[in-house]
Amino acid sequence: MLHGLNVTSTGEASGPLEGVRVLDLTRVLAGPFATMILGDLGAEVVKVERPGAGDDTRAWGPPFVGSESVYFLSVNRNKKSVAVDMKHPRGVEIIQQLAGVCDVLVENYLPGKLPQMGLGYEQLSRGNPRLIYCSISGYGQTGPQAQSPGYDSIVSAVSGMMHITGPQDGEPVRPGVAMTDMATGLYAHGAIMAALLQRQKTGRGVHIDCNLLSSQVSCLSHIAANYLNAGKEARRWGTAHESIVPYQGFRTKDGYIVVAAGNDKQFVKMCQVLELVELTEEPKYKTNNLRVQNRQQLLQTLSERLLQENTADWLRRFQGSGVPVGPINSIQEVFAEPQVKHNGLIQEMQHPAAGLIAVPGPAVRFSSFSPSGPTPPPLIGQHTVQVLRDALSYSDDVIRALLESGAVAQNDVV
Amino acid sequence: MSAPLGLFRSRVGALRPAAFTSLLPGRSPAGGRWISSPQTGEASGPLEGVRVLDLTRVLAGPFATMILGDLGAEVVKVERPGAGDDTRAWGPPFVGSESVYFLSVNRNKKSVAVDMKHPRGVEIIQQLAGVCDVLVENYLPGKLPQMGLGYEQLSRGNPRLIYCSISGYGQTGPQAQSPGYDSIVSAVSGMMHITGPQDGEPVRPGVAMTDMATGLYAHGAIMAALLQRQKTGRGVHIDCNLLSSQVSCLSHIAANYLNAGKEARRWGTAHESIVPYQGFRTKDGYIVVAAGNDKQFVKMCQVLELVELTEEPKYKTNNLRVQNRQELLQTLSERLLQENTADWLRRFQGSGVPVGPINSIQEVFAEPQVKHNGLIQEMQHPAAGLIAVPGPAVRFSSFSPSGPTPPPLIGQHTVQVLRDALSYSDDVIRALLESGAVAQNDVV
Repeated sequence: MLHGLNVTSTGEASGPLEGVRVLDLTRVLAGPFATMILGDLGAEVVKVERPGAGDDTRAWGPPFVGSESVYFLSVNRNKKSVAVDMKHPRGVEIIQQLAGVCDVLVENYLPGKLPQMGLGYEQLSRGNPRLIYCSISGYGQTGPQAQSPGYDSIVSAVSGMMHITGPQDGEPVRPGVAMTDMATGLYAHGAIMAALLQRQKTGRGVHIDCNLLSSQVSCLSHIAANYLNAGKEARRWGTAHESIVPYQGFRTKDGYIVVAAGNDKQFVKMCQVLELVELTEEPKYKTNNLRVQNRQQLLQTLSERLLQENTADWLRRFQGSGVPVGPINSIQEVFAEPQVKHNGLIQEMQHPAAGLIAVPGPAVRFSSFSPSGPTPPPLIGQHTVQVLRDALSYSDDVIRALLESGAVAQNDVV
Repeated sequence: MSAPLGLFRSRVGALRPAAFTSLLPGRSPAGGRWISSPQTGEASGPLEGVRVLDLTRVLAGPFATMILGDLGAEVVKVERPGAGDDTRAWGPPFVGSESVYFLSVNRNKKSVAVDMKHPRGVEIIQQLAGVCDVLVENYLPGKLPQMGLGYEQLSRGNPRLIYCSISGYGQTGPQAQSPGYDSIVSAVSGMMHITGPQDGEPVRPGVAMTDMATGLYAHGAIMAALLQRQKTGRGVHIDCNLLSSQVSCLSHIAANYLNAGKEARRWGTAHESIVPYQGFRTKDGYIVVAAGNDKQFVKMCQVLELVELTEEPKYKTNNLRVQNRQELLQTLSERLLQENTADWLRRFQGSGVPVGPINSIQEVFAEPQVKHNGLIQEMQHPAAGLIAVPGPAVRFSSFSPSGPTPPPLIGQHTVQVLRDALSYSDDVIRALLESGAVAQNDVV
């Protein structure tokens, strides 16, 4: 198997996936998110994009930084971009050859589309039996809905996620970021590594079926199990907890605070902080069960009190009380949190066209390696020639002919 | 009880035998080997032979270790004698005396009941860490090191140990000592701020997606560490936390602020920059329509029999529809309210416009695709009888899980693990049971 030119940084620990090559045919969110994490772990990710527009999200905005879509920037660091026209026969050939020298292929086409083009698992694994082929779809590779396109909004509805999210006496809503997509990407990144582990024992690759529906339904865990075992339907609870009171968000004078007084001791503490000590004497609020039974009245009293001061004041007063509390942060407030900065969640880098950009950093830290600094999200076709030369050993003449034929494109800017 | 019984496979929840493929060459406690019976004939999972010592409780951690178990790992869940994992008491609902919450995230694990406040109990954990590949924990940072069970300490005895810590905010930093509650972190991380009705209050996602995302990051990180260990021969300390997991998942929402100073807001079911792309009330429920481009908008108008809308100049392009969204959505809402969800779904079929119902949980599990994907996983539980839980999300062409083992009773496998993993003699085991350092479940 030919290896692409992968410069190892001397002296620094290499990531867990150093030496693993990923052919990334995914677009938009779930797939790119998964491959981005693999890139964070040291894998070499080759992102295939159609010449011209590339990944759909390159056009999504405002906002843009210069001409770069912030959406695209947010999930595409640590990848190379090759612009290949997969409708061109030479283009398909290139993908087939790349699949022959890659460890992993990730795709999110409608089931059946890639096989039609000669790029399905059956076909590519003949040439590369070690290929790990991870398919991401809306509903699965087979089954009655396999041909439905995978939109987070729709699957969030079909999977029950919307039904359980929203104000207590109000309409269902979507989680404010596409958590169904993200959960799928997270399942996929794990599954790919599971397959790499298995391949060491068996010597063979595998076809992996990840989909939005299964990912979200699995994440319903106890909500789902309540129905499956006890016939108990779920409902919306706003920020509240069905069986613990008080355990929810409250309005303050200038915003919101979440208080999670999960037991009787914490309830007493909360009353002390709120200077409502008389509540601790009330028989009807003595235990959690009683507080649940009398929740309306209790929450009314607590709400009125919490409304009287600012969030920051309440947070100060709750310090050291042992009662878990937190502000409902806006995004600006999130990135002002000292812990967020401490965790490296603002990741800055230089982008060749956009200049200095910042994206949310990797979520997981390992004692054994520090990422040596991300490469910025690529321009479309920024690495086409490099990859053809290094991974497939094409000569300059062949590359020139391919560029002229339009089967591939190289970005001029770089 | 209206739980669907469906296709019930009459397989008793026997202990799942695990093939012993040693990833710890030459490592054996007290002169013995971890004796497990090899599995014959069936393709083994990717993590067959990997041993996980699971000190986690509640949701994020158990969810992660459950997935590792689904992939074939042997998961030893350590619980305190008596109550065990907190969630064993969470309910109703219960099935018999089993908490449904506990059942939902604890399949494919063994339970050993060990009192970690007892010196002999701590010793046992240390020894188990010596024969395991992975340890997963979700204690407040500093707690386990105080007990002699921190990464530094345990990796001295087992340099190959992969030690995955799950916490609320991280192992270090100003908030490291704050306990990790999904509700709180959902608020602190910005998730609540962006979730809720357009002109209403913030809400939480209806299931603890921050916990789930953290568990998913953790399961991947553990496998990354297993891959790395093959090159380096060494383990690692992994820092997973709810805050980082959720903030990372904010992706473009976060990047909009970081790069353009653009604050996020709540959109209900709608999309900020695509119209119409949201949920609508129907006569008997709700439907979500995602008409993402002009062609789909035209189709939608045809299905709704509102073809005149396609002639309106102010609705011609997505940008125009976004600008005139109030009025357009009003018109569409009134029309969609006139028929049932099922009727609309029928009429939209073949139109090319993505649509879907907002399913209740009952409706989710009536979906043919959900059943097709194996998302209703049934099994026999020794105490609760037939139970059902949401099945694994990912399918591999190379192996079929050989059937899950049911969530364990507390301390169901204490003696077995002491005997097989640590080669303790019966006398030693008896003494430990008498001392209270460990407990064995009587029922089994």
